[in-house]
Amino acid sequence: MSAVATRYEVVVGLEVHAQVLTQSKMFCSCSTDYLTAPPNSHTCPVCLGLPGALPVINRRAVEGTIRTALALNCEIPEFSKFDRKNYFYPDLPKGYQISQYDLPFSRNGHLEFDVKGEARRCGITRVHLEEDTGKLLHAGAIDQAQSSLVDFNRAGVPLMEIVSEPDLRSADEARQYVVELRAILQYLGINNGDMESGQLRCDANVSLRPAGRAELGTKVEIKNMNSFRAIHRAIEYEIGRQSEVLDSGGRLVQETRGWNDARGLTVSQRTKEFAEDYRYFPEPDLPPLEVSRKWVAEIRASLPELPAARRLRFVTAYGLTPYDASLLTSSKPMAGFFEETVRLGAPAKAAANWILGDFSRLLNADRKEIEQSSVKPAHVQELIQLIDSGVISGKMAKETFEIMYREHDPGPALTALKGSSQISGDAELEAIADQVIAENAQSVADFKAGKERALKFLIGQGMKISKGRANPQRLEASLRAKIT
Amino acid sequence: MPEPESELSSREVEHVARLARLGITPEEVVRYRDQLRHILTAIDALKRADTSKVPATAHPLEERNIMREDERQASLPAEAALRNAPSREDAYFKVKAIQE
Amino acid sequence: MSLFQKTIRELHQMLVDREISSLELTESVLDQIAAVGEKTKAYLVVTRELALRQAKAADERLRARRDVRPLTGIPIALKDVLCVRDVVSTAGSKILKGFSPPYSATVVERLEAEGAVFLGKTNCDEFAMGSSNENSGYWPVHNPWALDRVPGGSSGGSAAAVASGEAIGALGSDTGGSIRQPAALTGIVGFKPTYGRVSRYGLIAFASSLDQIGPMTKDVADSAILLQAVAGHDPRDSTSSPRPVPDYLSTLRNGVKGMRLGVPKEYFVAGMEPAVEQAVRDAIRLLEQQGASIEEVSLPHSDVALPAYYIIAPAEASSNLARYDGVRYGYQAEGAKNLIEQYMLTRQQGFGPEVKRRIVLGTYALSSGYYDAYYLQAQKVRTLIIDDFKRAFERVDALLGATSPTVAFTLGAKTQDPVAMYLNDIITIPANLGNVCGISVPCGLADGLPIGLQVIAPGFREEIALQVAYAFEAAADFRKLQSPLMRAAA
Repeated sequence: MSAVATRYEVVVGLEVHAQVLTQSKMFCSCSTDYLTAPPNSHTCPVCLGLPGALPVINRRAVEGTIRTALALNCEIPEFSKFDRKNYFYPDLPKGYQISQYDLPFSRNGHLEFDVKGEARRCGITRVHLEEDTGKLLHAGAIDQAQSSLVDFNRAGVPLMEIVSEPDLRSADEARQYVVELRAILQYLGINNGDMESGQLRCDANVSLRPAGRAELGTKVEIKNMNSFRAIHRAIEYEIGRQSEVLDSGGRLVQETRGWNDARGLTVSQRTKEFAEDYRYFPEPDLPPLEVSRKWVAEIRASLPELPAARRLRFVTAYGLTPYDASLLTSSKPMAGFFEETVRLGAPAKAAANWILGDFSRLLNADRKEIEQSSVKPAHVQELIQLIDSGVISGKMAKETFEIMYREHDPGPALTALKGSSQISGDAELEAIADQVIAENAQSVADFKAGKERALKFLIGQGMKISKGRANPQRLEASLRAKIT
Repeated sequence: MPEPESELSSREVEHVARLARLGITPEEVVRYRDQLRHILTAIDALKRADTSKVPATAHPLEERNIMREDERQASLPAEAALRNAPSREDAYFKVKAIQE
Repeated sequence: MSLFQKTIRELHQMLVDREISSLELTESVLDQIAAVGEKTKAYLVVTRELALRQAKAADERLRARRDVRPLTGIPIALKDVLCVRDVVSTAGSKILKGFSPPYSATVVERLEAEGAVFLGKTNCDEFAMGSSNENSGYWPVHNPWALDRVPGGSSGGSAAAVASGEAIGALGSDTGGSIRQPAALTGIVGFKPTYGRVSRYGLIAFASSLDQIGPMTKDVADSAILLQAVAGHDPRDSTSSPRPVPDYLSTLRNGVKGMRLGVPKEYFVAGMEPAVEQAVRDAIRLLEQQGASIEEVSLPHSDVALPAYYIIAPAEASSNLARYDGVRYGYQAEGAKNLIEQYMLTRQQGFGPEVKRRIVLGTYALSSGYYDAYYLQAQKVRTLIIDDFKRAFERVDALLGATSPTVAFTLGAKTQDPVAMYLNDIITIPANLGNVCGISVPCGLADGLPIGLQVIAPGFREEIALQVAYAFEAAADFRKLQSPLMRAAA
């Protein structure tokens, strides 16, 4: 990789398609809940493309697009319109997709993100709005199937296309760009960031050029990357493949390649014998839009705190490292989990360590999001308190956390931890108290002299002797009784 | 304004027919080519109009920002959506496999 | 006089007075369809059962005097480009053979709410592309005035139905003259409202920025009534205007005294038949005698309207017709090896020659390298035409001219020459491109064939067009003219 990096400059641009979360579709009133609905149960004359049906723009989808564009520092032109992109495909009901061509809702923005603690910036060419297609199901492998089945429930769901400039220089940068973009969309409440179900989809344009050269090399489009990891692996693979071709004196062809995650490689998707010509023209069924400055100002005023601002706040308000702050804020639910844990009384650093450490490791292994876990902020806070008060050891806490994580209800495991491990028996506690008093004469004297803090120290010593297993309340009572 | 090719070729007719997914016989290619040449000659009068300072009218009405609120309404029953399908399988539309 | 010969107004009065029932009236019209339908071939589908059911429901309403509207119980024909729930709707195309829409067009719903009776779906040029009805995917329509003649198009079936007494009124659609020209050629009134006045929801699209639905009736007042019923904003059509709809009947009889009427010199085109020109000039003189002042005006870009139209309409059509791919509805070709071949065969076999010609032309006009020279240039020319009308309407209240340069021509006379056929629309097309409204009203006969006077009024001033047309109709004596098919049955 490093050898490649010195010979060639990697140039990556990303096109991210993100569903705009709305109740109803882009141009009709059908439900957008396509993931679980029976096939073709969420369609109407409009989204089925029946003869005579006409589209009507969903205001919320437009606002969502402008919100996103503002969060990505884009300009919002005062005039915008929809266009028809004409092509034939069985998942496209009308033979054209209503999209935006030369006058999108926004352009010229940028996105800032971190790669291993270093700040990066990538230009955003445009954010535009269009309608999604239906879904094709292939009976068997795509090149062997005799027929395909079509479900139009997804047809007409609002979809934003976020196009970056070719400013990304590595697979790491590309991945972090998407991580940051996904976080922004989540913070805006516009998209849930689910890549597996396709609510967030990413295509990459990858090319190499000899280091120091200005003009771009032959561009290859990579599709079908369904996770951050896939984005990273696919681009890494493609960089390697392209450099091998170039090194051996070969020429690259401009093509579309699909990422095969199981095999870990990109595969050429049959180059079309015939160049498509989308024949864009203004959608005559939809009057254009004048995006008033007042409207833009209202949308801007409604923007929530975005990941970058929250990251900064996590550093200043909680004293976290920029790195930890960055990791925590990359997921809105995770950042929220952290803040709730701290609000319940946990020290910030400890909360961050637990969330980013054991908790994230377990979640990643299961490909789960933090909000899907049965472990809640109160559980983490309580666990931390048990450690801090010396009731349990860090090692016990780690073991218990994993048990809690596996349980449908982590409560009992936590209670059991407290109960089972504690020394509450009088004889044993008396013995510990006696040992503490014998070994800490000075502190005993201090306490007798009225220094309440000395008692805390003595309790701490008792917890240490008991390896955290003593019941702190009982130990305190015993110490008080013995000293006074 | 770029000058459009004055004489439409058979190849262009074939290309355009394919873009439009319109099957066309060799005889039709020639017939459409000749008819379209004739039509395009008549249409060439368009170029006479001085439009250098004229905006295009894509939308006849002055109305702008026509939008609906984000509200759901009942969809068609799947049976109604599918009832005109020439080929179907269960509740899906069925098409020939895509092999381009 | 048979019931089917009467106007909406006359019949409405008889229905309200309980002189007749809607069922009797509907049966009278259905009988006329049975008698002359084989001659005109005006209908693709006669919805007899539906009509009788609706007539009975209308009679209930009339009996109860509950929400009786001007169209309650009146039998109406619908051009086949209008979707009617559960009634086969094909736009005159084989590619939609058997297509039964699960929904109705807004205008259909509005007529249903009025209590109108639906007689069936009238024949038309395939996807409304044509000026003679010879491009129907099923069969041509014959002119009730002379069966060897075309009725005009594309709403030729609706025109022939009204002119032969096979409907009391009808709805047509007009993209470049498809209501007005057949109205002129069959001696009835046809009115193309301003784009945006009537909802297009459920109208099978030809050219989305030009299509407009309008009435076809025996006289001007009936057109006012039918337009009143269907006009107005529809939240399902983003291009339908939110402007309020005036009461068209209240100004209908105001006359033309003191009105300024313009005669565009460009509308007396080369190739206009002398008898047509004479009838139109006589009509203009008659309006002058009624107190209007007449002046010549110029619409200098009229000569480029036809070329602009034959870019814009096919371009939009090429996109609108992409949905006919044989996947979700309509015809699907058999024997294809793969999907792309299936698309190509389906569309090759499903579409007729004129539709294919326009798809190729429109696709070409939008394709890479030609867009600016053709489509964009045509849209700029459209702006010039809009400005022409704006300037003219600064000086005059309405414009007068012929509807069609010729009377009805013989079937087959122009089918081999698309350009000659396109010239039929040369004086109707500007109103579509210019966002104005236009009505055709009978103004005479030449060799027993009807001639139409066209009245063009500014955008959303339908009441002016109706007022002028009504004044002419009242002063002239052509209202009483009836086609031989209508007369014969009397």
